[in-house]
Amino acid sequence: MKRIIGLVILYILAFALIVAGVFCGIRLYKEVKSESYVNGSIDISNRFSQESFIYTSTSVVFYHDLYDDTDTYSFEKDLLKTENFDGESKKYNVVLNDYILLNCDIKAGSVFATVNMDFYDTDGQIVNSATLKISIKFLSGKTQLTLATTGSANAQFLEQYFADNGMRLQIIEIIKEAI
Amino acid sequence: MKVLKTIGNCCLVFLCVISLCVIIGFVYYHYFVKDITIGVNNIDNQVGLDIQEVLKSEDLTEEEKDELKDRYFLEVNYYSNDKGNGIQLQELRMNYFTSYRLTSADYRSTGMQYLGDYKGLPLDTWDGNSEVKFGNPFGNNDRYYGTSDTAVGIANNYVDKSFNYYDSTNGINFNGVTNENGSIATELKRTTNFIVKIDNRAFAVTLDKYFDKDVGDVRNIFGIGWKVGDTYNRYYYTYGSLFQSCMQAVRTNSASYGDYYITVDLSSLFSIREFDTETGKYKYDDVTDIIKTYSVLKFHYDENGARASSQSMFGIIDNNSKYDLNEDKIDTSYWQERMTYNLDEKSRLRGEEIFAYRYSEVYDGYFVSLTMDAKKLFGEIPRAKVNVTFDLNADLFKGKEMKIVGLDYDAFNGVELDMLTVKGTAQTFFFLDNSLLNTDVKTVRHSRSIILDGLEKATNTEFAEVVL
Repeated sequence: MKRIIGLVILYILAFALIVAGVFCGIRLYKEVKSESYVNGSIDISNRFSQESFIYTSTSVVFYHDLYDDTDTYSFEKDLLKTENFDGESKKYNVVLNDYILLNCDIKAGSVFATVNMDFYDTDGQIVNSATLKISIKFLSGKTQLTLATTGSANAQFLEQYFADNGMRLQIIEIIKEAI
Repeated sequence: MKVLKTIGNCCLVFLCVISLCVIIGFVYYHYFVKDITIGVNNIDNQVGLDIQEVLKSEDLTEEEKDELKDRYFLEVNYYSNDKGNGIQLQELRMNYFTSYRLTSADYRSTGMQYLGDYKGLPLDTWDGNSEVKFGNPFGNNDRYYGTSDTAVGIANNYVDKSFNYYDSTNGINFNGVTNENGSIATELKRTTNFIVKIDNRAFAVTLDKYFDKDVGDVRNIFGIGWKVGDTYNRYYYTYGSLFQSCMQAVRTNSASYGDYYITVDLSSLFSIREFDTETGKYKYDDVTDIIKTYSVLKFHYDENGARASSQSMFGIIDNNSKYDLNEDKIDTSYWQERMTYNLDEKSRLRGEEIFAYRYSEVYDGYFVSLTMDAKKLFGEIPRAKVNVTFDLNADLFKGKEMKIVGLDYDAFNGVELDMLTVKGTAQTFFFLDNSLLNTDVKTVRHSRSIILDGLEKATNTEFAEVVL
């Protein structure tokens, strides 16, 4: 009788051992074959610098400083650092939307430009003439963009223009002279 | 029979030995060999949108198309109003897909907008009947908790009505309104699934995390403390928690105001599951010991206050697409704009002089013309309004000892001019043949002492002559 009980216990133990072995085997297989689920990669190493300057926006809003008595309305924006800008030894085109800007004052680390824009009504008469001053400073840690105009009416017409057409300001290095 | 029994026993012993080996192997591998697996889910740029299809759309401006190319799962727009010139505006947008197919038809953007500085849920926001408490990472209240199915159900379906919610199917045009009467936009709750694209695979991202805070009693006698009981409060994160965390991350970014990118760890808020194409279901990661979910957060952080709805990433502020704080608003509708180019002797194009000069021995002076490069430029520019001014006494000419005597043949041929001005002391200014042909010049101005010669052969259009 004792022998039978012993055998039963032995078989139960053997069975438990086999079950445990199967379980451990499955776990072992999963662990050995497991993937670490390393998905995707975030590359923002170059997000803090850019090779050539381009700023695009769907709108521009000008602010007037209450303590400013020059009636200046400005839009200021700090942008990513721009690498490799050298206004002393390289030549650049400054382009606002479809317009290449002339008479730009390009210095070592800055660009200043003036844009004159006339707005016509449906009779072909000028309803507003706005002057927009563009300043881009390439600083060591960031790029500082400033747009400024004088007068509330000019600011509102320019806001309307940028709302209608968006803003695409580019500074493009001229690698090869145009023939 | 005996043989079979012997064979059976042998097999049993064999299986037991094998099992023992496997168990030993597993214990050894699990406890002594296997390192902790650290998985990383990077919710990267959402360029998965079928951008080629979208780029063909004529309804979008180039700038809007640029925005679509630069799409991230999380985007924040934060006007802090530190300058006190507008209102404080906080916006968070999620760009995602609604299906594992990841096509442009499945693309959505859903956003939350808060006017002011969102401080999270009030300390007493809870459902007392079901013991639900929503997690506020910056709060310190710990009175209520609940883990029952009812409590979880209420927590999962909670929508924070503090926000305006907006939806978009193209990422540009948004709509939506939220109030107590309901919303037609996607209201964000814990059961909302965002599907994102990682390594060209679909993953479901769900804000379903919570945290348990140990609130067991602590006894203390003579400085020796010990805990009594095992009591936890369960806090459920909501999209308000995410919103508040993102605003906090932007507010504390090292670059301060501007347009930048930061990486945020979403592991404490979101779970992420990969879509299994074989089973058609999203699978859980059951092998990774630690999994982190990172995402790039693109943000605009401004020291100004928001002034107009165009500053909102949804184009709407407080459910008003015409929102504008400007009190002196004028009618700015116009038919056409023209960029004015005022050219003179100092004008330069790509660093080079915009005018070319040709010396004439017959006239003993220089004739001016526009360079071919400049002609090409103005020919390509739509609606350019070109004004040209020649100051014959300009320092530049004096310095080079150049006497300007007129406009060369075809000097401006084909370039649309609005006004030509010639200033200086007494002399004759010659217009050689076709110098103003096809320019459609409207006004020619000159100093009283300057005589214009040859104008009739220079142009084929009528113009007004003005004496300065």
